[in-house]
Amino acid sequence: MHSSIASDDSLPTLKVLLIGPSGAGKSALLMRYCDDEYDPGSSAATIGIDFKIKKLAVRGEAYRLTLFDTAGQERFRTLSTSFYRGSHGVLLVYDISSRASFLTMERWFEEAETNTVDGVPLYLVGAKSDKAENNREVSPEEGRALADAHGARFCEASAKTRENVRRPFVDIVDQIVRSPDLLAAAKSGRALGTVAVSSNSAAGGYFASCLC
Amino acid sequence: MAESLSDTLWDVVICGTGLPQSLLALSLSRSDKKILHIDPNEYYGGAEAAFSLQEAGTWVNRLSLPTEAGSTRGVFRAASITKPPTASTSLSFPRAYSLALAPQFIHARSELLSQLVSSRAYRQVEFLAVGSFFIIKPASAPTSAKPTIVRIPSTREDVFSTTAISAKAKRVLMKFLKFVVAYDSDPQTELWQQHADTPLADFLHEHFKMDAELQTYITTLTLSLDGRISTKDGLAVIHRHLSSMGVFGLGFAAIYPKWGGLSEIAQVSCRAGAVGGAIYMLGTGIKNTTTTDGEIRLELTSGDSVKTRMLVRGDETVGGEVGISRLVAVIDSTLKTLFEVVVEGAPAPGVAVIALPAGAVTTAGGKVSDSPVYVLAHSSDTGECPVNQSVLYLTTLSTTDSKDVLQAALGSFLTAVSEDRVPDVLYELYYEQDLGSVESQTEDMIFHFPGPSLSLSFDDRTLGPVREAWEKISGGEAVEPDYMIFTDREGALDDDDVYD
Repeated sequence: MHSSIASDDSLPTLKVLLIGPSGAGKSALLMRYCDDEYDPGSSAATIGIDFKIKKLAVRGEAYRLTLFDTAGQERFRTLSTSFYRGSHGVLLVYDISSRASFLTMERWFEEAETNTVDGVPLYLVGAKSDKAENNREVSPEEGRALADAHGARFCEASAKTRENVRRPFVDIVDQIVRSPDLLAAAKSGRALGTVAVSSNSAAGGYFASCLC
Repeated sequence: MAESLSDTLWDVVICGTGLPQSLLALSLSRSDKKILHIDPNEYYGGAEAAFSLQEAGTWVNRLSLPTEAGSTRGVFRAASITKPPTASTSLSFPRAYSLALAPQFIHARSELLSQLVSSRAYRQVEFLAVGSFFIIKPASAPTSAKPTIVRIPSTREDVFSTTAISAKAKRVLMKFLKFVVAYDSDPQTELWQQHADTPLADFLHEHFKMDAELQTYITTLTLSLDGRISTKDGLAVIHRHLSSMGVFGLGFAAIYPKWGGLSEIAQVSCRAGAVGGAIYMLGTGIKNTTTTDGEIRLELTSGDSVKTRMLVRGDETVGGEVGISRLVAVIDSTLKTLFEVVVEGAPAPGVAVIALPAGAVTTAGGKVSDSPVYVLAHSSDTGECPVNQSVLYLTTLSTTDSKDVLQAALGSFLTAVSEDRVPDVLYELYYEQDLGSVESQTEDMIFHFPGPSLSLSFDDRTLGPVREAWEKISGGEAVEPDYMIFTDREGALDDDDVYD
């Protein structure tokens, strides 16, 4: 499991977050995009998934996409500042069949904007577009207007029907890799000057090789 | 979808998101326990929190108000913020800062790092090297008109190449360092055992004929708050320091988590708890607890009433006897000389440690400091301030004069490090921290963590009570060797997706 990741260590790694209110369909979107799985019965909060990895090529170059879900911390709005650290892009997801979910998005934009660095692309996704016909409570125009107000891109998507599922992910990666600053950060891998703690030298210690 | 808080019988409610509570959440993150993790504060990290300037302002204001129901004053008091008017234009926006309330660096040999690695939590934390240790010598007319700063030789090469000490002193230092490496085995043990509880400085003088200056070098390495550490404790700390040297790379013994220290570890641990299914609520404390047959009923400040089999919370009582005073200062200098790489191939350090030994500081009112003042200097690489600035964390034992002592120490420090000009102070945050209770306590189904350690480097004794709580919660299911040992969470699927 881990070895396959290690072998891709040379690929630039992009950290993309999915945020938004409980029940908006973040995990369903993630599962459909990464694993092409959809479980109509699964409405419980996501347990056990820290992040998903997807390799993709944009403009002829391969990237390793790490996608972070909220792990239920959206429920009482307890996402931490460390969760946002180092993110290259943020997908903000609401449910088009729930006005209440849409009404929280202003606050989610605010949280994303305060916790990410300048230039990080934001992308608004109206999820569950399969419900457009019978249960729509938010028009695409409203969604687009909110996105425009925050300089974000917008689309509607459905994990159930697969409509537009790849679009927000691919679009946001495209935006990220077109930003020289964000791309440079992704390509440098471990931030300059930081220390790797996972492999300590057994021979460590002040007197390992001296004073004998 | 979300089950109601009050319908669930929780296995454990954890109150507070300080480091011990957060590590407990991490340790339980792969269990099937139903966990509700709350914090009366609106922020993560408890006593280990890191604040933007805005959050620091809110915190200071809240400390000055009477304590609300469901929250306790905690270990901090007497907080105030000073912004010199001349410097206010140079401060960046509030979120450009992340000031740690109780910064501690972590020795490479600390069990905390082993646990972060084995639990895989380390992947979300970035660490910087803690570099050189320095001493500030007060101005002494006529030779030096201003205080001077001297680096303590901390590697073998350093000891050989330094010009700060004499050849004779170098021999003494090397002899001592050699002794420390095997201090806990015969025949060395015999040498110090009878002095175990007397001050280390006396032992250094008697057995190694160290002069006062060398003694100060050595006691500075122990970061002893009163400067009078015992031989036994002092040797243990120096041994830890030396055996940590080089473990994660050349030329450094300790590391510091980027973006505010232990606060990051607390947040990452809570995230691991959430991934494992724990429910998180901030700004929610406990108003009332009632214990009835095998259950605790908690009335939360949010209005919810929940029931749980166990409650784990932080220390509620304040010891009050020993306390420390802290001064956090943002300055408009990179302090370049303090963060130089002194061993070829070593990473650029983000933290430097500077001591003003007892007696080295004189306040404006003429009072001479009777315990050391330590300065942890953090470069902007820590992410705690914008580039071209640095954050200084000054600590000393609390006395009636400690605020003045810290002010004077800040002044000496800035004069000592100044080259062409004395750096400007842009922001100051002063507060005092009490020592909480030092032991964990269990009453019935309630477990209390001890208060946070006042130490400047992470104290592994913090980890004991976390494990104790874990054992209590895990009960018979606890399998010792599995404690904090987890595999990576990330999914195996790694498809190619091509888009042009």
